[in-house]
Amino acid sequence: MKFSSRPESRFLRYLIIFLLICFSAAPIPVSAFQQQKEILLGVEPEHNIFDQMERYRFLASYLSDQLGVKIKLTIMSRYGEVIKRFKTLRLDGAFLTSYTATMAIKQLHLEPIANPVNLAGESTSQGYIFVRKDSGIRGMIDMKGGNIVFVDPATMEGYLFPLAYLLQYGVNDINVFFNQYYFSGSHASAIYSVLDGRADIGSAKNTVFDQMVKNDPSIGNELEIIAKSPKVPEVTLCISTAIAPDLRKRLSDTLLNMDKNEAGKKVLQQFKALRFTKANKESFAVIERMAQDVLGSLTVHGK
Amino acid sequence: MLLCTLFILGAAPDSHAAKKIGVIMTGDIPYYNAIHNSFIAELNRKFAGTEKIEIILQRPFPNPISWSNAARKLIAFEVDLIVTYGSPATEAAIFEKSRIPIVYAGIYEPEQAPVKSRNATGCGFKVPLSSILRYFKRLKTIDTMGIIFSSIEEDTVRQYETMQNLAAQQNIKIKKIDIRSPNDIEKLKTVNSDAVFLTGSSLAHLWLEDIIRLLDNQSIPVADILPDISEAGVLMTLYQPSASQGVMAAEMAWQILLGTKPSGIAVYTFRDTELVFNKAEAKNLGINFPIQLLIEATRIIE
Repeated sequence: MKFSSRPESRFLRYLIIFLLICFSAAPIPVSAFQQQKEILLGVEPEHNIFDQMERYRFLASYLSDQLGVKIKLTIMSRYGEVIKRFKTLRLDGAFLTSYTATMAIKQLHLEPIANPVNLAGESTSQGYIFVRKDSGIRGMIDMKGGNIVFVDPATMEGYLFPLAYLLQYGVNDINVFFNQYYFSGSHASAIYSVLDGRADIGSAKNTVFDQMVKNDPSIGNELEIIAKSPKVPEVTLCISTAIAPDLRKRLSDTLLNMDKNEAGKKVLQQFKALRFTKANKESFAVIERMAQDVLGSLTVHGK
Repeated sequence: MLLCTLFILGAAPDSHAAKKIGVIMTGDIPYYNAIHNSFIAELNRKFAGTEKIEIILQRPFPNPISWSNAARKLIAFEVDLIVTYGSPATEAAIFEKSRIPIVYAGIYEPEQAPVKSRNATGCGFKVPLSSILRYFKRLKTIDTMGIIFSSIEEDTVRQYETMQNLAAQQNIKIKKIDIRSPNDIEKLKTVNSDAVFLTGSSLAHLWLEDIIRLLDNQSIPVADILPDISEAGVLMTLYQPSASQGVMAAEMAWQILLGTKPSGIAVYTFRDTELVFNKAEAKNLGINFPIQLLIEATRIIE
């Protein structure tokens, strides 16, 4: 059978072929092509995840209204699951503490967007190493043979920093130096462990420590801080670069301008923050250096 | 008074004459039993096959006359070493001013106790009492707290005073409950407190089950600094695991029997603790342990 075609059908066929070639030759990111309908953000768990989720729920609701994109939250079951969770849950971003943010920026190429400024006016936190005042421990030498409590291997304040502190004094194997070490799972638990005598030495985040002392001054009377880490961003919203640049910018602008409108101020109050401040990658360089120094030269597992 | 004689027999057939260790262990207190068991086990290990050791165990009832009689008996037996558990037994042994060396264990903050003597050394423990108060406050509102102690046990008086000061800082009123005899237990029928703190009093622990029963009737939770080994119903216990004290007392005893003078061995205070919550008792009292509190526990009794 001979195929015959009219001029208009031939034009239509050429047009379709042309369009197909155009789309196959220049793939466009799905997020830019389609209107993003929702953003799924991970939240790292704190001591009381119920209070924490309540706080974040207000923020998510505000962002959803402002952006016209549904912001959904999911709690990460424990610290250090950022990399794994991003892949399995297909997260678009997460509110991350300093060490996990460093890992996520480096390994997942996330973009740090904003840091909340807490009610004390601080967007940063630092690690404390502390002991009971009546323990007789005044420095690294007195720690030998004691029991130390860390928070979690994925925390700067509660693990990386104390290891860096010990390394600075030549302790390169905590299995040998300490009688025992363990992870409490939260900063508050690490503090309670030392208060109770369940551990001789502890490490935790200053913001949690200071808040506990504020609520119960007897804690400050009983504990002594013997070392402090450099200050780093406490919590950072890090966003996947797969999210369209204009949406990322709108998200950033919305957060950074929250304190300039009444609705935003109200949500900030519920979120227990004064405002958001712009995040930058350079703030995490100190943690990256610390991790390289410590994890390259310490034996940290096995007891 | 019960007099027991135990022998740890060395394997060597031509061993020297037996060394005699006299032990004063107040009443039938599980905490002291635990220290004693680890003391014997460690001593056995130290002297395995090299020395014959005779243990003369005295279990005086907790009162000054019985403690004193127990010490005098051991002196009359001409033991080579006296081992005491708890503050009053140690004080009684020191008071006799014999030349027999003394090793003590189970004393609260031994550096603060009146047990200083050229012939005595030993170990004890310290538990941060502020933690007890902190955990109580996380469980319920505490306006008034009862403190059970015994004025004839010096270290429990110190515990009472420490807790009284801590409570005063937090505007908590204190009810003083001094237990000197079984009749004093009656005082617990009308405590009118939101919670009760039980010091390490051996007298109080002798009647622990009666105390818990009376306080349960009033739905008053109890916290203790000695382990509730029999699970009598203490809501929370923050205690120093006693086995380490027994091991250290055995080490000190061993050194002294080999010729070291007690004054050459430093007194030691154990500060490691374990925290136990009794969920079954909480249910009886209608108290819910928040999850943030439960995660702090070393052990939970379900």
